[in-house]
Amino acid sequence: MKEEKISNTVSNAEINKSGTEDAATNTKSYKLEFFGKGSEFFKITIVNWLLTLITLGIYFPWARVKQLKYIYGQTSLNNERFHYSGTGWELFLGFIKAILLFIAWYFIIFLFGLINPIFAIIFIILSYVAIPPFFIHGSLKYSMSRTSYRGVRFGYRGNRGELIVKFLIGTFLTIITLGLYSSWFSMNIRKYTHENFRYGDIEFSNDCNGSDFFWIIIKGYFLTLITFGIYSFWFNRDLFNYYWNNLKMKKDEKNITCRSTATAGGFFELILVNLLIIIFTLGIGLPWVQIRTNKFICDNVKLKGDIDIDTVLQTEEEYIDATGEEAIDVFGV
Amino acid sequence: MLKKFKGKYFNGISSASLEASVKFINSNNEICFQTENGDLFFWDISDIQFDSYHNLIEIRNKKNLDAILKIEDENFIRKFYQVLKRNKALNLHTRLTNLSFTKISIISICILSLISLMYFYALPRISDQLVSLLPDSFDNQLGEIVMDTYIFESSIDTEKTKYLQQFASELNLENTKPLKFSVVKSDEINAFALPNGQIVIYTGILKGMKSYDALVALIGHEVAHVNKRHSIKGLCRDISGYMIISLIFSDINGIMSILIENAHHLKSLSYSREFEDEADKYGLKILIKNNVNPNGIIELFEQLEKVDNSNNMEFIQTHPLTENRKKNIKKIISESVYEIKTNNNLTSIFKKLQN
Repeated sequence: MKEEKISNTVSNAEINKSGTEDAATNTKSYKLEFFGKGSEFFKITIVNWLLTLITLGIYFPWARVKQLKYIYGQTSLNNERFHYSGTGWELFLGFIKAILLFIAWYFIIFLFGLINPIFAIIFIILSYVAIPPFFIHGSLKYSMSRTSYRGVRFGYRGNRGELIVKFLIGTFLTIITLGLYSSWFSMNIRKYTHENFRYGDIEFSNDCNGSDFFWIIIKGYFLTLITFGIYSFWFNRDLFNYYWNNLKMKKDEKNITCRSTATAGGFFELILVNLLIIIFTLGIGLPWVQIRTNKFICDNVKLKGDIDIDTVLQTEEEYIDATGEEAIDVFGV
Repeated sequence: MLKKFKGKYFNGISSASLEASVKFINSNNEICFQTENGDLFFWDISDIQFDSYHNLIEIRNKKNLDAILKIEDENFIRKFYQVLKRNKALNLHTRLTNLSFTKISIISICILSLISLMYFYALPRISDQLVSLLPDSFDNQLGEIVMDTYIFESSIDTEKTKYLQQFASELNLENTKPLKFSVVKSDEINAFALPNGQIVIYTGILKGMKSYDALVALIGHEVAHVNKRHSIKGLCRDISGYMIISLIFSDINGIMSILIENAHHLKSLSYSREFEDEADKYGLKILIKNNVNPNGIIELFEQLEKVDNSNNMEFIQTHPLTENRKKNIKKIISESVYEIKTNNNLTSIFKKLQN
């Protein structure tokens, strides 16, 4: 493993354009790395598989935690690793809760159906739109609260009701515009969720907007179609760039911006080799594919800014409810 | 003299890292460390959670999960594992992942072969046993449900249905439950039996028959499916097989699961082939018992062979016709003693059926 010391020295003196008392800001260097190895991840996957098999599937939530712990733990920023602190037991209880909710949902439909089938149909339609944000909220809240770095937790401060309203409006507009609005819909959701992410007292924001995204999609689909798919690598690159280049972090007056260095060639290699691995190992090589993909992401995202990641304060409260996380499996949200 | 190890401590209040010097105390049941600020901590081994990465170990305390003690020292890690093993604090997953690659592979292969053994040998037998526990009323209900939905979308030839019933009543079929016969108007070359004793024959297959021998063979064959509860057996084998498969391969996505599912489908086809062979032999027995020419069954096969390449594949898929099947039956015919008596009743009813 490479030894990379955090350089706190002024690597790039920038002239402060506002001309106030600070003549220069301290630009910090950040290094995002992924140390995961396919063989190790394969071993974890095999052991998970064995234990899941022997326990007739009950071990599954614990197996998932093992995988997430590995992926998070092998992701490092400035040579300190991320940490996933979810537990199998939490996920298991979340799974049970999601099943109970599922049964309750059926029961409500049944009751409405007894009164008037129209009510039942309206309820089904409304819940089809409201269920995904309901659980996406829970899932974000849970997974962010279980992610930490240097002993400081991440968090999600979004509001469940607001997210559901956004989904209802977005779905409605997407339907009446025959799908054209979907770009604005997805970017609104992205912006909303990202702006509610926290890492201690660092706030996140996202500058994405529907019209920029719409043109990327239009251009991507059209060119992919007329080049018989060859453009898809550039399309992937454009999406990846767009997702990352708009993500920002802010703390006090300081900030960090993200920049993607992904290239179409890089995507070509990633996708082609992943496909070959899957085909020639009949899917057994999936752990290598997951590792390669994570490595690709970490290698191609560069952070730049002046936030001192040594001085982040714990701000997010502890959170205990894994229903959203497991509902994703139960309801297939 | 207790050995001290160098580590890093994050207190879970801020992201700042503090130097720490760590040692095992209290006959190795506690980890003690002091940070550069002078704070002293005692962590009981039984309160500890850890994650290890090569030469790095991250230790957390159940009582304050935010705080982390990180130690990058092989000697420490070795000692830490010894202590944990002595306290039996290593869980099964960690112990298994710490095994060598070959050991894990051997364990996996052993379990996998055990399961395949179960899948190929135990499963068909166990599920057949289960079927014998199912009451007859289950077969009847299932058959009625299928027939109800089936009748809904096809037209029954009521006149020919009556003739077919007359035809069957002339025969000794050794049926274990009352049989119902129906003729469906369709050019398709098809016939099937439902578990409730309902036998459906298409006009398409009747028209192509040269003699009533073939019809007796067909009826005998279908009766065997009813008597031997083939469809329920197939269903049970299929469901239990799928249960095992989804259990094993739920974690492995992609091509593998598709391959496995198709393999299972092939396996179910081989089940149905097994059932078909059984039904052929039974059909032959019925022919001989009723003094009908046993070559009727060969006639039936030859009729089906002709449509092999046409669009009427449904019958072929579930009744796989092979040279082997014909050869086997021919061999049995040559070995068996039989007497052929022309039955005028059958001849006349058969004529009406063919109109």
